[in-house]
Amino acid sequence: MDFTSYRRTVRKAIAEEPLSELYPHDVSMYRESPKSEISILEFEQIALDRLKLLRIIEQAAPKGNRLYSDQWKTCIKDDLAKAGLKKYVRLMGGTSGTSDLDYQARKADYLSHFILRLAYCRSEQLRRWFLSRELEWFWIRFTAQSREGVKNFLRLYKFSYTPISEEEKVSLRHELEASTAGLILFEETEFFKVPFTEVCSLVRGRKVFLKAGFAYIPSSELVVCIQSKFRAELSEELTWYSHRIHLFDDERIGPLLSNFHNLHTGQNYRVRENHESVDPADLDAYAKKHFPLCMKHMHEVLRSEHHHKHQGRLTYGLFLKAIGLLYEDALKFWRDEFTKKMDLNQFEKGYVYNIKHMYGLVGKRASYSPYSCVKIITSSVGPGEHHGCPFKHWDVNLVKQKVIECGVSVDGANEIKQLVSDGHYQLACGKYFEYTHGKALGNGINHPNQYFEESMNIEKGASGNKK
Amino acid sequence: MSASLYNEDSLPDLLPIYYKRLFPHTALHKWLCYGDPNVSNRREISFTLVGDIYLRYQSFENAEDFAQALHKRFPVKIDIGAIYKQRLESSGSYSSSKTPVEREIVFDIDMTDYDDVRTCCTGAGVCPKCWKFMVIACKILDGALREDFGFENILWVFSGRRGIHCWVADKKARILDDNQRSAIAEYLTLLRGGLVVRKVKFFNMHAATERALKVIDEYFEKSILVEQDILGTYERLDAFLGNIDEGFSPLFRDAMTKVQTSVERWKAFVNTFQTLQREQKIPKHYRYMVEEMKFYYAYPRLDINVTKSLNHLLKAPFCIHPKSGKVSVPFKPKFIEHFDPDAVPTVSQLLDEINTYDAKTKAQEKDLAENSQTSVKIKDYKKTSLLKYVTIFCEFLRGLQASAARNRAIKNGTVMEY
Ligand code: SF4
Ligand SMILES: [Zn+2]
Repeated sequence: MDFTSYRRTVRKAIAEEPLSELYPHDVSMYRESPKSEISILEFEQIALDRLKLLRIIEQAAPKGNRLYSDQWKTCIKDDLAKAGLKKYVRLMGGTSGTSDLDYQARKADYLSHFILRLAYCRSEQLRRWFLSRELEWFWIRFTAQSREGVKNFLRLYKFSYTPISEEEKVSLRHELEASTAGLILFEETEFFKVPFTEVCSLVRGRKVFLKAGFAYIPSSELVVCIQSKFRAELSEELTWYSHRIHLFDDERIGPLLSNFHNLHTGQNYRVRENHESVDPADLDAYAKKHFPLCMKHMHEVLRSEHHHKHQGRLTYGLFLKAIGLLYEDALKFWRDEFTKKMDLNQFEKGYVYNIKHMYGLVGKRASYSPYSCVKIITSSVGPGEHHGCPFKHWDVNLVKQKVIECGVSVDGANEIKQLVSDGHYQLACGKYFEYTHGKALGNGINHPNQYFEESMNIEKGASGNKK
Repeated sequence: MSASLYNEDSLPDLLPIYYKRLFPHTALHKWLCYGDPNVSNRREISFTLVGDIYLRYQSFENAEDFAQALHKRFPVKIDIGAIYKQRLESSGSYSSSKTPVEREIVFDIDMTDYDDVRTCCTGAGVCPKCWKFMVIACKILDGALREDFGFENILWVFSGRRGIHCWVADKKARILDDNQRSAIAEYLTLLRGGLVVRKVKFFNMHAATERALKVIDEYFEKSILVEQDILGTYERLDAFLGNIDEGFSPLFRDAMTKVQTSVERWKAFVNTFQTLQREQKIPKHYRYMVEEMKFYYAYPRLDINVTKSLNHLLKAPFCIHPKSGKVSVPFKPKFIEHFDPDAVPTVSQLLDEINTYDAKTKAQEKDLAENSQTSVKIKDYKKTSLLKYVTIFCEFLRGLQASAARNRAIKNGTVMEY
């Protein structure tokens, strides 16, 4: 691609190297920028394909599949096939085949990765999104590799990981067996000794054995190290690109890339633009009947404690805004509660701006959208805060107790509890909906406001039928 | 010893003398810049002055500069921050433009975090009974830091009142980023907070968990069961059972209420558990219930936020705790069992000691002078009980020097790394 030419002082017309050398493996570290020329049309096409790929990956977990589970992988594979992205399905196979189709798939993967770097280096938020998706995509392909495939990868990218000797392994048998999470067959597992700093995620949860600053990881976790190397390299690269983006943009690709992230948004829940406003007097009743557990909890806390911390105000406030609470009503609503614990002056000084901001009346005047389940589930909840997803952030027994209080049967509650234990928070929420409404949802829950609307629809449907 | 009583109001009068005559500023400064003159003006030091005036982002050109600032301002508290990439200007520049690059890994364990399990004291109080919590914490952490992470240069400090601090100063520890620090902090944290029933949960017996268990077992019966008497009242028993799933707790309650003392009740708990386990009534993920309970009561409770980030401030050793008047002194983890926080000298006591010493030597000097010998000037801290703590600190510095020399040798290839 043309865009790296400024790095080279002399542009030589080189014959392209053979594909087998340029793209030897299904999994790539993307270390060298590609030098091929492609048409602008092709450029656009492969870029959009990759965006679709990343969107599909993004949406697999909110559909109720635990991240990195087999189910999650299958979901991605199916969705890719449905979207006609056969080349990416091929790369998930773990075969590193040598047919022409394989090379074409790898080439498209390689080039499109670099194009998206240009689109996603532009802001911290975009970089973060891109990095997470690319890491997941990396993980999918790496873990599909056979022992042989991993070996080749390590050799190609000059990683010097070698398994510990049989002798050392035997001498540490007790420690390794006791300390390695999810270990099944000790005899058949190879262990690698790596600096603990490379596998922080495993260290955090005491998932591996540590000795003198080294972590002993089973080969199945090697992906964690390599992934963290990949993360470090890519994140540095993205910063590098972001400082030089003006050198890449030209009139042909600039317009495409600068608004790229919004081109294809997939099937995400979209909050409806204009709907009826809600009467603040109805909020208590709505909370009982139509709010998902997260918002119901926030409502109850606000009524009993007359306060929410910053994240809570934002999460709940935006939710209310999106169900149709008008600015004036919102202001009164928050004021009435907050002033039970503070004087009016304090409220005016400390919180009014905040509410105006939520409604886009001050500051950047942006129209903020309410938080999705994924956002709520992945947020961290500190002491004294209440904004998380109950299914994720509460103890399961507490969830069970709470849903029973809300009218779910004990069997239903156990079913929900099981889903929570398996990490399917949004499915649990969907089940909760099912048990409290007597109607199953087709697609699970991915947004609190979707929950609300579905719930309202059922009620409207019911009253409509009566007429 | 004329133990003159410490009085908080006299602190502003005592501090100038303390900093002039006793505070080991040269040694402290040496530590803070690791013998590298280019580090001194990049290391953040902050002062809290009398009247709660807070000066952040101080830095000093060299040891004399540091000493002068102490003599001029005699801070009530000195906090140590990170080493920054660029030079710190001492007066009010914005923190956003500063990038911390190096910093010891620090731990802060405070007795108040044990308030839901300790029964002898509350709040700021501390006695030999609850000090055992610190003993256990120190032994477990020190062991894990050395064996699991391979750190060697670790300084333990009594905070001056009711807690302990730990500084890991190995070069390889100092350069870790926030993510790696938080990984260590979380590795060492086993108690979860919030709305959870089981505060400690094990799915397997990790080697580090096993090692910690050994330490806990040394103390559990005497310090936790007998001295803290954690099961001695119905209220405490309820709290104990609250950590067990509703499904099982009645079974344990029955057995445990039949007997009276904590030791008996604990035994009843363990026996019931073992019986249930033999009858295969304990699901797999509860098989470490006994260990989980021990850890709940005795495993170190860390203030994890202190450890997680590179630029968190922590009080420097040898500061005076304003409430207790005690010096925040280093101690050796090996001997923590014999460390008695009550015996740590207060600033008033130290100043008394100097005076007594001087009075005594004056008399001797007179004798000596009569025998026409020259007198040797002795550093003031050597005249007091601060001496042994400064010695511990200097030993820590020597360890650092030795490590640095070894690292240099490895770098230059004069030593084979193995
Ligand atoms: S799944 Fe979504 S809607 Fe349901 S409780 Fe959690 S965050 Fe709220
Ligand atoms: Zn006590």
